[in-house]
Amino acid sequence: MGLLNPRNLLYLASLAVLVAIYLRARAKPTLEVSSLMLFDEVAAPVASSRVLRTDLMFWLEMAALGAVSMALAGLYLRTTAKTPAHHQARALIFDLGAGMSARDRRWTRLDEAKRQALEMVAEAKPGDSFSVIGYTLEATVYRAQTAHIADVRQAIEALKPAALPARAAAMRAALMRAEGAAEIDLFADRPPAGDLLKSAGAGARLHLHQIGSPADNLAIVALEPGTVGASPGRVVVRNFSDRPQVCELVLELDGKDLSNNTFVLEPRGQTVLPFGPLEKAGLVEARIVTEDALAADNHRWTFAPNEKPDKALVMSPSPEARDDLARVLLAVNQGLIVTAVDPVKFDLKSSPRYRIALLEDAYDPGVKADARLIIYPPPWLERSAPPPWQLPVVGTVTTAEMQERADGEQLDQPLALSPARILSLPEWMDVLAHGTGAGSSGSFPLAGFGYDSRGAMGVIAFSVNDHVLLDPDKLEGLVLTVEMVKRLLAPQDLQVVSTGGSVSVPAAGVAKITSPDGSVTLARADEMGRVRLRPLQAGRYQVSSAGTKAVIYANYYDAGESDLTAAAPARVSSKPAASAETSPANIPARTRVKPIAAWLVALALLAMLVESALLTRKAMRWRVGNV
Amino acid sequence: MLEARAFEPDFLRRLDGLVLGVQRSRTVREGRRTLGRVQGLGIEPESFKEYTEGDDLRFLDWNAFARLDDLTIRTFRAEREIEVTILVDASASMGLPREDDKLGFALGLAAALAYVAMASNDAVRIGAFPSAARGGALRLQTSALHRRRETYPAFRTFVSEVRPGGATQMSAAVERLLLERRPAGTVILISDFLISAAEYEQALRGLLRARHEVKVIHVLGDRESSGDYPPGHYRVRDSETGELCEVTLGAGAAQSCRRRAERLSSELAAFCASHGMVYARAFGASHFDDIVMREFPRLGVMR
Repeated sequence: MGLLNPRNLLYLASLAVLVAIYLRARAKPTLEVSSLMLFDEVAAPVASSRVLRTDLMFWLEMAALGAVSMALAGLYLRTTAKTPAHHQARALIFDLGAGMSARDRRWTRLDEAKRQALEMVAEAKPGDSFSVIGYTLEATVYRAQTAHIADVRQAIEALKPAALPARAAAMRAALMRAEGAAEIDLFADRPPAGDLLKSAGAGARLHLHQIGSPADNLAIVALEPGTVGASPGRVVVRNFSDRPQVCELVLELDGKDLSNNTFVLEPRGQTVLPFGPLEKAGLVEARIVTEDALAADNHRWTFAPNEKPDKALVMSPSPEARDDLARVLLAVNQGLIVTAVDPVKFDLKSSPRYRIALLEDAYDPGVKADARLIIYPPPWLERSAPPPWQLPVVGTVTTAEMQERADGEQLDQPLALSPARILSLPEWMDVLAHGTGAGSSGSFPLAGFGYDSRGAMGVIAFSVNDHVLLDPDKLEGLVLTVEMVKRLLAPQDLQVVSTGGSVSVPAAGVAKITSPDGSVTLARADEMGRVRLRPLQAGRYQVSSAGTKAVIYANYYDAGESDLTAAAPARVSSKPAASAETSPANIPARTRVKPIAAWLVALALLAMLVESALLTRKAMRWRVGNV
Repeated sequence: MLEARAFEPDFLRRLDGLVLGVQRSRTVREGRRTLGRVQGLGIEPESFKEYTEGDDLRFLDWNAFARLDDLTIRTFRAEREIEVTILVDASASMGLPREDDKLGFALGLAAALAYVAMASNDAVRIGAFPSAARGGALRLQTSALHRRRETYPAFRTFVSEVRPGGATQMSAAVERLLLERRPAGTVILISDFLISAAEYEQALRGLLRARHEVKVIHVLGDRESSGDYPPGHYRVRDSETGELCEVTLGAGAAQSCRRRAERLSSELAAFCASHGMVYARAFGASHFDDIVMREFPRLGVMR
């Protein structure tokens, strides 16, 4: 019981006024009569009247006034109703990042988390409900709150780790989705930041089950194929352990051994192993043979493009841009024969078919090319219907800022690019980079890639004039352009991507997608003749449909997630915490505040009504207007 | 207010058949000069009496003296115009109990009596005697004299302006009235007579001495005549003197009040009877019509 505003109890002082009224009026009422002569024979009172007449009406008024005062003060009842054990709602949140796939002896960390969760579910009382939520790059509810234990078990058992880093934002989103649960059990291999829990509002309801112990891990950080027949490639390997590690690294080209190296990596050290130059184009695979805790970062693939003398076109009104873009093309593939031309002087009829065409600040006249890269496309003439291969330009910003790289990582500092077009990319294009600009609301795409009926097509929205691509302070712009050219030159049926990214693959009809773990899913190609998928596991994906077959290699590496030497668990739960918490004595009491102002006002009204009825009866009985 | 009832047309129609119960003819006693003032039009011989010293020689019957050689004085009966004064007590006690509207009741009776008196084209006026305040000076308010019924509505303004106040100064009011030296007529005194017997006796005797025909109408409210007050312990205040006393009201007290009112009424009635005055008791304003239409004719106030 308590009061919301004790100062309103001052209204109780009006009780003193009530007493004063009674002292003055009710205690000895004065009756004015025409003359005392008529009362000459009336006997004198045998007893003097009381000063305060505490009759029924007095108590009714006291009750009414007291009730109103209490209502004004906000009297409430505090009930501590314990949540019945059989009605407890729990949320089971699982970290599904790559770190949870690390093995401790025979079992992965996720297996241990699932075991603990299943024990909690097994010990649940009838009526207990659970929800199952997982997170990596984003939060996903695998099973909404339900009391069907079988469904919960099924959802837990179906959880799989992804070759993705677990983002803090995704964990926050998962905690927010568990907002309705009385208790939250978080199964993760590393403790979340304290402010993150506070901002998510989880508070004391959260029980962290930190899974796993520090483990040794080696990872392939990068793999560069070099230039076929020209420059050597390199592979970067990193040791995340606090002690030296022996690493056996195998390199293969199209499945044939290229090299096999065994070396010792210093604690938390990194080494660069050169190889090649490669004698021919093909798929290069680097593999750490040494057994370690995390397998997802032990493989990496890259594609070494063919160096045959293909023709390339660079079209731009700016000689500087033509020169820079030609340099980029030759840096990616030295075998290309580059034709740089001003759009005004370009003759479409006499032009041959190109392997790749780079069009900077120029309309696409219908160039015959296997792949096209449109850079800073001009807006189409107003009131004229553009050909279907022209990109719709919504507007132009004088300065655009690139916030993240093509692989999705945030830049330390935004990269200023100027000017840039605001494009409305078609649905079949995947956005590779976003940017923001003055005068535009929200972000807009800075780079996109996709396949249409004419072949591969990429777009870069910012201008490459003024030697932007050669500016060392704007290296990310060059990296983005090189990545785009590499993608465009890569064969459509063989793609090397990072896990978590979106991939489009040409297909027809229903496509069969075979994942690295051997599972098969079916997907129907869209009207543009492609299938989009998002590789969540590191390894080889195969997409086969009628007459087409494409292979996707998904690489995984994340410096934070691959580091398995996280701090020692704050509380390693050998036994699920829920087993102790489900006993009725430990069930947290839920404090409920129940205002009773309405009841008090009703009581006051009732008291006043009763008093009014009594007064009315008295007035009617004695035929007086003032009682 | 109850006085409004006396001006309602249907009520007045019922009064049309009534006349005021007054002695319209009077003997000019002993042919004294002091009474000569009452002589006037319509003098008829009534009797003869032997001349005594001091008789007005104008009334000497010279014919009888010539035949009988005896000095004889002629006496006459005079058909007089009567001046009717209806005097209403407007003291503070007439304003209580408020539920009874005693003053309105008294003023209504006065107006009704005035209407009846005007049937004979007698000169009628209504007077009231409130005091300015408790212990203050007496104010005798009188209306103008009206004879014809066409002017009867003029009384309405007068009675509606009368307000109760102050102590009852009945003897002083009568004294003030007599100082006007109006011809002897009829005075109807309406009051609750909640004053000492000496006070009202002095007043009534003064009127009689001035040879007025006096009628006394005693008004009391329903509540005070029955003592039907809300039960309880009260501090009772006298409206005129401000005096306080504590009483416990109830059935016993009501009986005592009734008994006291009866005794007051009987004492006043006895005094009136012993002095040839008409006494009419009008207790309870709720019986206004009955009192006017039945009780007053029965008691001789009207005929």
